[in-house]
Amino acid sequence: MATQDISSSPLSPYVAEFKRFVSDTWLGYAMVLPAVIMLGAIIVYPTLRGIQLAFFEVSLLNPDQMTFVGLSNFGQMLSDATFKSALWHTVLLTAVAVSLQYLLGLGLALALKEKVPGAGFFRSASMITWVLPGIVMVIIFRFLVQPDFGPANIVLAKLGLETTYWFGRPGVAFPLIVVMHVWRNVPFYAIALMAAMKSIPETQYEAARLDGAGPLQAFRYITLPQISYVSMIMIVLHVIFTFNNFDIVYLSTGGGPLGNTEVMSTYIYKQAFEQYALGYGASMALVMLIIMMAFTVVYVRLEARD
Amino acid sequence: MATDSSTHSSSDRSLIQRFDAWLSDDMSPRRLVGVYAVLSLYFAFLLLPVGYMLLVTFTSQEFLYSPQLIPSLGDLTVENYLTVLQTGAFQGYFVNSVVIAVSTTTLTLVVGTLAAYSLSRFEFPGRQSILLSFLATQMLPLVLILIPFFLLMFSLNLIDSYLGIVIAHSVGGIPLGTWLLKGYFDDIPASLDEAAKMDGCSRLDILWRIIVPLSLPGIAVAGFYTFILSWNDYLLVSILSQTAATRTLPFGLQLFQSQNTVAWELLLTAATITIVPVVVLFAFVQSYIVEGLASGGMKGM
Repeated sequence: MATQDISSSPLSPYVAEFKRFVSDTWLGYAMVLPAVIMLGAIIVYPTLRGIQLAFFEVSLLNPDQMTFVGLSNFGQMLSDATFKSALWHTVLLTAVAVSLQYLLGLGLALALKEKVPGAGFFRSASMITWVLPGIVMVIIFRFLVQPDFGPANIVLAKLGLETTYWFGRPGVAFPLIVVMHVWRNVPFYAIALMAAMKSIPETQYEAARLDGAGPLQAFRYITLPQISYVSMIMIVLHVIFTFNNFDIVYLSTGGGPLGNTEVMSTYIYKQAFEQYALGYGASMALVMLIIMMAFTVVYVRLEARD
Repeated sequence: MATDSSTHSSSDRSLIQRFDAWLSDDMSPRRLVGVYAVLSLYFAFLLLPVGYMLLVTFTSQEFLYSPQLIPSLGDLTVENYLTVLQTGAFQGYFVNSVVIAVSTTTLTLVVGTLAAYSLSRFEFPGRQSILLSFLATQMLPLVLILIPFFLLMFSLNLIDSYLGIVIAHSVGGIPLGTWLLKGYFDDIPASLDEAAKMDGCSRLDILWRIIVPLSLPGIAVAGFYTFILSWNDYLLVSILSQTAATRTLPFGLQLFQSQNTVAWELLLTAATITIVPVVVLFAFVQSYIVEGLASGGMKGM
């Protein structure tokens, strides 16, 4: 719009160029502004408020009355056994789920990359689990383990094994949560890794074969290094997703049985919205944020060094 | 597929030949069997649960609650679908879901396209930090945002309104959408912009007439991501929606379960209906998504 003024003025090209730079900059800001305002209002502002809340005692019932308590919310965590177990569960879940997802995703990627009839079908069908709503996945898994008529228990009964509602069994509920995380995300890893593998030129493998390298060596020295970038992105993203995930645990076990599957996000949700302890909830959420930031920085640095 | 073509082989030579043509040169039969074995294992794990849910929704209540795995022909019925589809509240949730997801996708694509074009083509101070902060928003624990977010929406009077939920979902979709679109826009040579500018096109003309038509696959993928983010969301809707007027399907599925009893036949049917739009849309964009994961989606990072 502002560019139209330039042509009418008999100025030197430098001034015209300068004007164009200014108008371009202005237009650039104007176009990015709606996104920045929305993110600022709905994400950045609440985040800053959340960080502030971490140092106050606030009740959900009366959010306007805030009492500054310094670091005492953080002190409370140290003596809170549920917090410690929730933190441990979260770290364990993230480590186990992401490792399994990566290894299984890598395996599926290797199979999907083969040029076999039906490969296209397999590729598109595999992403189904990833596009389902979380609640639908949870409904499916809860149905599978229903006592008496759940398919998993029917099979177990036929084999003469014990049957029960497995989400209610300590020691089994947590692995089931891991299975759901894996089930949901393996295809996403597989497709991304497969795409990365396909972009490796075939000539490199031929050269390796001529040099006498076996398939394992080719995988180790050609495939792995060239999918490391995509691997890094996948792992960082899913560590963050898994660490922050709320609905899988909340909708399936609610943190039970006996706190066996309680993770940080469900515990914080309960503290804030069921115990009305907004300040304490916010301080634990801040701890989550710090752990995630530290992880991301360290991991990206390590990867970048290679 | 493999068994299919081998059983008919005697009657139809061309099938075998076609099958052979599909295979690459170094595919030995042993390797082929291995690949199919691995794929079958994976797909049993991934698809059996969904497939079994689908099967059960077409059977009678008696079969579902019986200790049997395989229904007989007499067990098959569409009764569950008729019941669920005729439930007034479910229809209302479906409409809410469609309105909210479509509005969210539209808003996100408009805002995201403008932002992505700006970040792809303009040089201005703060550009790099805006890009990084978009990415950083993906890292924040939602529970940290949730508390002040609820208070904010409350004071803006956006609780229990379409607008409140659409804004919340759009904000969730904008960062990733912008990154994706920027990746696609970066692929279009800047010389095209220059040529259009010579011809007297304004920046907005260029965006609308050149950039957008050339990046339709990227727009489809960004739109799809946003749609499923909105369609699948449970947490934000559970907080922002207070009445049936704004409740969407994922949250509305509780319609079929009460404190102690679950109407499994109806719950599974409703869940199946909930995933139909997502799966259909996915079928349209899946090839772009696979492509995008290889190039566009990752390029920006």
